[in-house]
Amino acid sequence: MEIKVIKNILGENDRFAAENRAMFAEKGVFVVNFMGSPGAGKTSVLEKTMERLKGELSMAVIEGDLFTSKDAERIDRHGVPVIQINTAGGCHLDANMVQKTVREMDLAALDLLVVENVGNLVCPAEFALGEDARAVVLSVTEGDDKPMKYPLMFKESEIALINKIDLAPYCNFNCASAKEDISMLHPGIEIAELSCTTGEGVDVWCDWLRRGVVAKKAEVRA
Amino acid sequence: MCKECGCGETNGNTRLQFTVTGYTEETAKDVEKALFGLPGVLFVHIHAHDGETTVDYSPKKTKLTDILSVFAARGLEAAL
Repeated sequence: MEIKVIKNILGENDRFAAENRAMFAEKGVFVVNFMGSPGAGKTSVLEKTMERLKGELSMAVIEGDLFTSKDAERIDRHGVPVIQINTAGGCHLDANMVQKTVREMDLAALDLLVVENVGNLVCPAEFALGEDARAVVLSVTEGDDKPMKYPLMFKESEIALINKIDLAPYCNFNCASAKEDISMLHPGIEIAELSCTTGEGVDVWCDWLRRGVVAKKAEVRA
Repeated sequence: MCKECGCGETNGNTRLQFTVTGYTEETAKDVEKALFGLPGVLFVHIHAHDGETTVDYSPKKTKLTDILSVFAARGLEAAL
């Protein structure tokens, strides 16, 4: 007789995530799970973030991609410590992957760790990594219907960045409608319009990161 | 949710269909907004004319009584 074994994938992941959370808390590093579709501009936003926060916050990045180290190379050009995880086909990062990766990092020297997840609006939202907060990047080129089509991602994120806002007039993107949907899905979520080309909104995002870092340090001291 | 990799095999969402009496166009919109704002509610679809209301939610994050409270708070009667 064939016995079917159903493994509780998320239960196992949650255990690793809890271990990660404890480790990040001990080191006082604010950790952000950075999510969004392929091409939403996640890496571009990080590049702008590094430019803006250079010399102010000690930052590191974990890059998640199916293949290649292209994104890590972009981060590396900014002189920020970066480790690339290749999931080799896997559609999301999980807490165990992050745990293995951070062993290579000097967490105590960091204020901020950003984990750029695999480009995907579905699965990454289901897997906790031990992060303090989740951020989702939605670009106007994807369409204003995405929040309602992929609700979990927006429900699970503390901040939504509407990226490539400079292209909105050319994309038939109804920003008011997108914001209304995001707020309906997650009352109280922060929303920032952002453009990596013009720099609009980057300060709003960086201020949100600064507040997170300050809150985490305060939490550790308490 | 992702059937190819099996990520969502354990996500545990439930879809319920209520028949709600007493909707107006305004209360239907108000209910939709309130339901979407509950944790774990991923989908809401309301037919205001016949009261058919579909809610996809995670029982781990929101209790059935929380959903029923949304109707009750607006003077609406909901039956499963």
